[in-house]
Amino acid sequence: VSSRELESYRSGQPAQLADVLERVLDKGIVIAGDIQINLLDIELLTVKIRLLIASADKAREMGIDWWEGDAFLSRGNGRGELEQRLRRLEEAAGLPAETEQEPSSS
Amino acid sequence: MSSAPGEAALRRNGSGWYLYGVVAADEAPTELGASPAVDPEHEVVLVREGPLAGVASQVSLEDFDDAALPERLGDTDWLEQKIRAHEQVLEKVLAKASVVPCRFCTVYRSEDELRRFLDERSEALSAALDRVRGLVEIGVKVFVDRERFAAARATRNQEVQELQARASSAGGGRAYLESRRLEQLVSRELERFTSEAGDEIHTRLLAAAKDGLALPLQAPELSGREDEMIFNGAYLVNLSGQEVGAALEALAAEYREAGVHLELTGPWPAYNFVPAELGAT
Repeated sequence: VSSRELESYRSGQPAQLADVLERVLDKGIVIAGDIQINLLDIELLTVKIRLLIASADKAREMGIDWWEGDAFLSRGNGRGELEQRLRRLEEAAGLPAETEQEPSSS
Repeated sequence: MSSAPGEAALRRNGSGWYLYGVVAADEAPTELGASPAVDPEHEVVLVREGPLAGVASQVSLEDFDDAALPERLGDTDWLEQKIRAHEQVLEKVLAKASVVPCRFCTVYRSEDELRRFLDERSEALSAALDRVRGLVEIGVKVFVDRERFAAARATRNQEVQELQARASSAGGGRAYLESRRLEQLVSRELERFTSEAGDEIHTRLLAAAKDGLALPLQAPELSGREDEMIFNGAYLVNLSGQEVGAALEALAAEYREAGVHLELTGPWPAYNFVPAELGAT
């Protein structure tokens, strides 16, 4: 295993938070039992949405705000912009559009 | 701190063991580099147990106790820092050895419990390691530039051409209507194209990889690109990446004209190709 081979993949930029999140927070082995913390017990969805929004905020602070300008508006219909954005964030975080109750099977 | 001192407070002062991932003991890197651990007070170490070794570091239960964690997770700066630390520790390991990555916040109460886990689940962990040995995960994100797509379609689609001509020659409200119709036509074309292109790209990358799967699309705010994401996939590939690299190049060349751009991420530990759950026996 050579790290030089691995380097050839890299674009030289740090990974984007969204790419790290969709792996570290959602994938990888989950170990049940005998464990201090079971992350599955924690409301991960709100955590993810919060992080994703924070990431967008950070981009805005850095001056990357194209989605608030014309470029964004010209692609949408100009209505419900915030709603659309929220919906996309929710979709990205794996939130169903309408939360349905689990069927109570027994 | 509003909680009364007592057993809980004492427990919280202790430390736990954060497990990043598992490697084969005989492949384990001799030094883990200077990756900052999720708790910078402690070093990343190898906990060797039989044929396996856990990549782990001690963490303060002030932060990582199940009672404290929900609050910590609400602090996005804290969370991003920890999540990135988790990933960077594993990237260092991945450069030297095959690794089965754990999900964020896998914490044991003691070193003994961590060792017991490595021992008792040795078989399942070894099987997971065998599956990813010599392989890494890459991410492939596919974007389309809507304007370039529309321009490319116009050269081939007569209906688009006619609408474009009418929109530019008409004036006032008429021009608006024509351009709305054009917009709608392009949207329909784009929708059809993206699902076909997504399928085609995924199929060809799968053929060049050991395994692969489609991930949910990311919001444009997060991809950092104005272009629309039309496909998001993860693939398990050889370290050299030769086959998949060739497939990517060919796809990028074929789809460039349609305004499609492929973006590669990784190499990642094989997060998407290890068992979702490793239950206790």
